[in-house]
Amino acid sequence: MADRYFNPFQAIDINVPVEFHEAFTRYCQRSADAVIDQSPFPRMVDLWFLSVCIASRLGLEPADITDYDTRKIIDGSIFGSDPWRVHTLMLIAIAKSGDVQVVSEPRQMMTLANGLAVAGLPKVIEMLKEGDAEPIWNLSDAVDSLLRKGVVA
Amino acid sequence: MKLLRAEFQNFRMLRDLQLEFSIDPNTNLTVIRAANESGKTTILHGLQWALYGDAALPDKGEGFRLHPIDWDEREGNRVPIIATVEFELTTYRRTSGEVRETRRRYRLVRSAFEEVDGGTRRFDSTVKLFALNETGASPIDAPEALINDELPPELREVFFTDGDRALSFIEADVALSTKRERVQRAIRSLLGLGVVDGAIKHVRKSAAEVNKKAKQVGGSDQLNSIATRLEAMENNREKLETDLEDAKQQFSAFDEKVDEVDREIAAALQKGDKVKLRKDLENARAEISQLDSQLAAANKEHSALFRGRSIATGLLTPVLVGAFNTLEELHNQGKIPNTTIPVLYDRLEAKVCICGETLVPGNPDGDNRRAHIQKLIDDNQRADEIQEIITDLYYSTKSLQGGRGAETSAWQEEFKKVVERRDGIQTLRDEAGRKLRALEMQLDSLPDTDIQGLRETRRRYKDLRDRYLSKQSSIGTQLTGLSREREVLEVERDRLLREQKRGARILAELEVTQDVMKILKSAYQRITNEELRKVSELMNSVFLEMIGADPEQGSMIQRAEISHEFDIIVYGPNDRTLNPDRDLNGASRRALTLAFILALTKVSEVEAPNVIDTPLGMTSGFVKHSILRTAVRESTQLILFLTHDEIAGCEEIIDESAGLVFTLTNPVHYPKMLVNDPGVSERRVVRCECDHRSDCQLCLRYEDVQFEL
Repeated sequence: MADRYFNPFQAIDINVPVEFHEAFTRYCQRSADAVIDQSPFPRMVDLWFLSVCIASRLGLEPADITDYDTRKIIDGSIFGSDPWRVHTLMLIAIAKSGDVQVVSEPRQMMTLANGLAVAGLPKVIEMLKEGDAEPIWNLSDAVDSLLRKGVVA
Repeated sequence: MKLLRAEFQNFRMLRDLQLEFSIDPNTNLTVIRAANESGKTTILHGLQWALYGDAALPDKGEGFRLHPIDWDEREGNRVPIIATVEFELTTYRRTSGEVRETRRRYRLVRSAFEEVDGGTRRFDSTVKLFALNETGASPIDAPEALINDELPPELREVFFTDGDRALSFIEADVALSTKRERVQRAIRSLLGLGVVDGAIKHVRKSAAEVNKKAKQVGGSDQLNSIATRLEAMENNREKLETDLEDAKQQFSAFDEKVDEVDREIAAALQKGDKVKLRKDLENARAEISQLDSQLAAANKEHSALFRGRSIATGLLTPVLVGAFNTLEELHNQGKIPNTTIPVLYDRLEAKVCICGETLVPGNPDGDNRRAHIQKLIDDNQRADEIQEIITDLYYSTKSLQGGRGAETSAWQEEFKKVVERRDGIQTLRDEAGRKLRALEMQLDSLPDTDIQGLRETRRRYKDLRDRYLSKQSSIGTQLTGLSREREVLEVERDRLLREQKRGARILAELEVTQDVMKILKSAYQRITNEELRKVSELMNSVFLEMIGADPEQGSMIQRAEISHEFDIIVYGPNDRTLNPDRDLNGASRRALTLAFILALTKVSEVEAPNVIDTPLGMTSGFVKHSILRTAVRESTQLILFLTHDEIAGCEEIIDESAGLVFTLTNPVHYPKMLVNDPGVSERRVVRCECDHRSDCQLCLRYEDVQFEL
């Protein structure tokens, strides 16, 4: 099905450092039989995107992804069905750079997003692990508590 | 393939019976009217035995008697059993730009002997195939190969369907993996993926051969050692894959056995004072199954919290204030919305400038002004692209700003609801589990020896089923480990080969096998996905038509699909999944499975008959008519075994669509159900030419008389 919306990230890869691949395999559902409580994320892009959001929320500095040995998890065409994600990545780029011109530079925006994801991933993994319950509950409680605290760096 | 006729001798109650089938494309329906116990299922078995042998019989023919149960030993101890099927094959050949159609007729004869002195012993059957021509019949070698090509045995249950058995694709009593396996097997067979499978195996063998050559390169002990280990791993993988396939089949087989014994237990409980216990057990299991579906749905809702917009909104709204303010500023400055270029284009189109001057092409002034406006458009193009994106961004993210200032985010509200839902259902599920255990204990304490025996059998089957499930997991884990280890070793082997003088050529050969393997695997996946989508879409449209559902009109059933995991899923309003076994009525369940079967046959492009036993059971009115009409339209040759009740109300459709209608009668139904004495002493099915509107001395039944009165 053709995408209805403009997606500037269509042909850009989402890359993740190799050291996080195990986390993607463990916490993302890879088949219909996946145990949701152990693997809360429906797709890899959902874990990646949450990491971007968490890093932004906590004011973490984006990592320099060129320092890492990375592997592609998926390409940006995945956003075709979720245009709000495209808009969110643009807003993050504007907020970080303070310049609206950045919206015409998809690669620059994706580099920033990949860097934020790398910065946020250890925190998300921590949220998944910390607690006495299964990862989905640990993560839900951590997000709930983060929203309650209203912590913004 | 189209079936022309069949003939049975001494095949259970078909002592001597001939059947013909309509092959007229305009009236492709054959109706065989038969009351219960009049040989419908036996004919279905007989046709399959003729084509596929013992493998097509229940329990692969083991302990399945073929000769008539009341065989008189005075007629001899060796009973000859013969099934003959005549069929027509149409082939198409392209010759000098034209497609030439050729039809050939064949006769397949399968025979076996059963010795009936005391017990029953059956010897292997013999099958022969003859090509029929005007001068006679010429024998053809390897008949199985031709049948397997025309009617793949894996699709046997698709071409020859028992209306109740067809429900096996969706029934709830067997494990999800068993249903999935059935759907997957049917779809993969339909695609003829055996050829691609064969090619993959061949390439693997070639890769193993090339790996052996790597051992002989010499010059490096390490290379030799790695190549030897890879060789051993390949052998190990082959064995594990065979074991895995076997474990899957065994699991499905024992899963079905557990289901079968469950039904036997239910039947045993039907007797005497245990009816209530049976009902309670049934209800408890149904409740658990329903709660499990609800729990699964609630878990999915929980998981969906991490892919939805609300979590991003909740987390980002406070940190995006700067970006929102920048956009708002641009809006206040009039830079949003973006209107410059559209306005200029409008003017060119209208051929009049904003100032009122002409922009008509051909007019010298007009041309000058047009060139100027075009230049303005070009100059602004890049700036305008950014403006366009920002305009879109500004309006699309208005809702992202909505959460500012709210005490709790939408995500927190959704999370609260999910927690309540999950906890609530889990409490009910625990309660239902306790109730079932109490009933099971009650059942265990029953003095009824039949039931205890069945319970013990069930336990054994369940143990075996679970053992094979565990075996599957264990083999799956070993295969994953093996594959990971192999990948590492292959990289190392390739590195060492690069260092050897004679290694380059072997490396090139290995790369070729790896490339071919990649192509084959991706082709396999692509074909599966594409065909799966086709079957899914056709099944959906046939199903909705059969049940008269109109999603536009907000019907309860919105659509049905086959997922990538080969699950048949039905959706209700708001994309909520419906459990076919619990949320659909009997008629819709039957329609769904028939739609699946018809879609499979159609997508396969195999010209094959659909022989269906009691397809209209549990249906009535619109759905019944609609199922029949749709099945007639979607099938190339439709042979239906219908009871008198199934026919009632469908006479006009049969008038229009049937090329042949006849009736089968079981004489033992006299005097209770048959009006006249057929004068037949032995148990055998007899045929008369009465159609769906007529009766004769032989087939007139009491129900008919009462109905006519």
